[in-house]
Amino acid sequence: MSAQQYQIPDENTKNYGVLLNKKDDLQVVEIPMPTPAAGEVQVQVKATGICGSDIHLWKYGEIGIFPVTQPQLLGHESAGIVTALGEGVTTLRVGDRVAIEAGIPCSKCAQCMAGRYHLCPVVVFKSTPPYDGLLAKYCTHPARWLHKIPDNVSFEQGALLEPLSVAISAIERSGATFGRSLLITGAGPIGLIVLAVAKATGISPVVITDVQPSRLQYAKEMGADYIYQVDPKKPDYEAAKEIRDLVGGEGTEYTLECTGIESSFRTAIMATRDAGVCCLVGVGKNDQSLPVNNFAMREVDIKGLFRYHHTYPRAIALMASGKLNIDHLITHKYDIMDALKAFNTAADYSTGAIKVQITN
Amino acid sequence: MSPPQGEMNQCVVLRQKNDIVLENRPIPQLAHGEVLINVKATGICGSDIHYWLHGGIGDFQLKAPMVLGHESAGIVAEVGPGVKNLKVGDRVALEPGVACRMCEQCKTGRYNLCPEMSFAATPPIDGTLCNYYKHAADFCFKLPDHVSLEEAALIEPLSVGIHSARRANIKSGDRVFIFGAGPVGLLCAAAAKAAGAGHVTIADLVPSRLEFAKNYCTDSQILLQRSQSGEPNMEFSRRMAKEILKTEELADAVIDCTGAETCVQMSVLLSKNGGSVVLVGMGGSVQSLPISEISSREVDIKGIFRYCNTYATGVKMLASGSIDVKPLITHTYQLQDAVEAFKHVKEGRDGAIKVQIVA
Repeated sequence: MSAQQYQIPDENTKNYGVLLNKKDDLQVVEIPMPTPAAGEVQVQVKATGICGSDIHLWKYGEIGIFPVTQPQLLGHESAGIVTALGEGVTTLRVGDRVAIEAGIPCSKCAQCMAGRYHLCPVVVFKSTPPYDGLLAKYCTHPARWLHKIPDNVSFEQGALLEPLSVAISAIERSGATFGRSLLITGAGPIGLIVLAVAKATGISPVVITDVQPSRLQYAKEMGADYIYQVDPKKPDYEAAKEIRDLVGGEGTEYTLECTGIESSFRTAIMATRDAGVCCLVGVGKNDQSLPVNNFAMREVDIKGLFRYHHTYPRAIALMASGKLNIDHLITHKYDIMDALKAFNTAADYSTGAIKVQITN
Repeated sequence: MSPPQGEMNQCVVLRQKNDIVLENRPIPQLAHGEVLINVKATGICGSDIHYWLHGGIGDFQLKAPMVLGHESAGIVAEVGPGVKNLKVGDRVALEPGVACRMCEQCKTGRYNLCPEMSFAATPPIDGTLCNYYKHAADFCFKLPDHVSLEEAALIEPLSVGIHSARRANIKSGDRVFIFGAGPVGLLCAAAAKAAGAGHVTIADLVPSRLEFAKNYCTDSQILLQRSQSGEPNMEFSRRMAKEILKTEELADAVIDCTGAETCVQMSVLLSKNGGSVVLVGMGGSVQSLPISEISSREVDIKGIFRYCNTYATGVKMLASGSIDVKPLITHTYQLQDAVEAFKHVKEGRDGAIKVQIVA
């Protein structure tokens, strides 16, 4: 099937989804073919990336403050083709190639009206319990939260727009801009995409840390100015000092913590310069012990990050410009009917997987 | 101009932990850009008490006798070479921290973080509790005639309030919640109101403090309880926050002036999505925080280190009457009774809020 080909379902077309019944119980099952309601469109989902949160939901039955309470589809990093229009949709046509923004806010509350729709108290984010995700052959979605992608952006790249949105959002939330130094703790898919965006936008120097030497080597090839291998046995303040010394002793002006691991967050805080910003991107334990006096008395601001907002247009522009080269982060692709293999690959570090995608 | 001849320079000196004496020291000689201030009013801060009782705060430890005090105002007695902004007789508030003015932090305006900062009464720099104190003229702020020196001495703790209100991004109509109704908490409330806050709630363990706060820049008051023995702090904090939210709403800005772990935790829980928590109180160096809330609700956590660019603002606020600090001055002592004044603050007697030493 070429990139432009799509299949408009008829009464015989079967739909399949990747269903998490409960913790540790993931199956590809036949699911009903959805019909778009008013304002919605039907999308043939062509590519979906697997996120660490999908793995976490699968293995732990919860993520952050959201427990799995009923069987649900996983996946929220998707792109596809419009196959049917619901009533009243004028902004899209059948055949349009789109990226799916998985979060649907109410658009009416104070947060939404102030433009901070990611903080809408009643946002429906597909794949966060209890809402079904996008890992299906066909899904429906409000037209308003779909973004057309140009022909030179593939579906695989379209699926990368979601983690790219996290990276753009994280850099913006921290305030890091060109000419300023950045520390990224964690060279997983998010950390590496942040690195790519940082290099593409002139942020420099960039330091990146990880426990795995192979990921650090990968980061070095992507243009990281300094790499630092974390030794879990080393006290966090020692690691912080070694990281600070890489950039002249004072630490970085901005830090993005992309692991969610408590010791990494503590190190990240202590490695940030006075008056800097340390932004937590990774999701980890609900309560963590932090060196409060250290960051308070040095006026290092701590900012949490929740998803993204208003990033898709910019992410599409960045992807379409060709300035960003992150296709190589897609290390494995599986057909949706082999989704379990995809999940097993993604969950196993020894495979060297960075971003695993499921295609249709 | 020659220095005052034959005048005594009585100084309140902390010789070592628990040992304060009055000493007569030479009147300092002025270098380029400095003025000599005849100090008239000095407030006593919790940090002065802490140095007295413990001999140090964190990394700042007393290694030699040091004059105490940093919340002062006075009259210019002598003007050194190169000083253009002041003349003898000018009444001034003293900003106690003199920065280097040359490093990157200074040049970008965050001079409170200057690595070469000389801050009065932080070891080894002598403080202002004396008759004659020399100071960089550009860190002295001229007062209009109708602002008293006693009020001007309060610009120092007021500066903590102004800096906190700015760090918390308090805007008109905002809802602000403050933990701690001591002088710092009250001045944070005053700064919040001056910044246009629509509703200020203040919380404390001590009912008499809340009684006072009822008539000073706050709209509602919450009486806090101590955690019961055995209950983990995070559980207590979640329970208390739920309780508080029965009568209060989530806040745009929460300012913690206690340093207590439970209050810091509650600060996050009481913040709106996208709100700010400012940590003013200094507490345990490692604290457990509700990270899931900080992340999923994007609540910013910002500490403060003293203040910067607040003195000119403070003078204007006192001059215009947008803040009235006079009610906070509850007790006054003469310089020779300094030890009594310190004991008074330590014991917190008679509803003491700000105790000042005047000359």
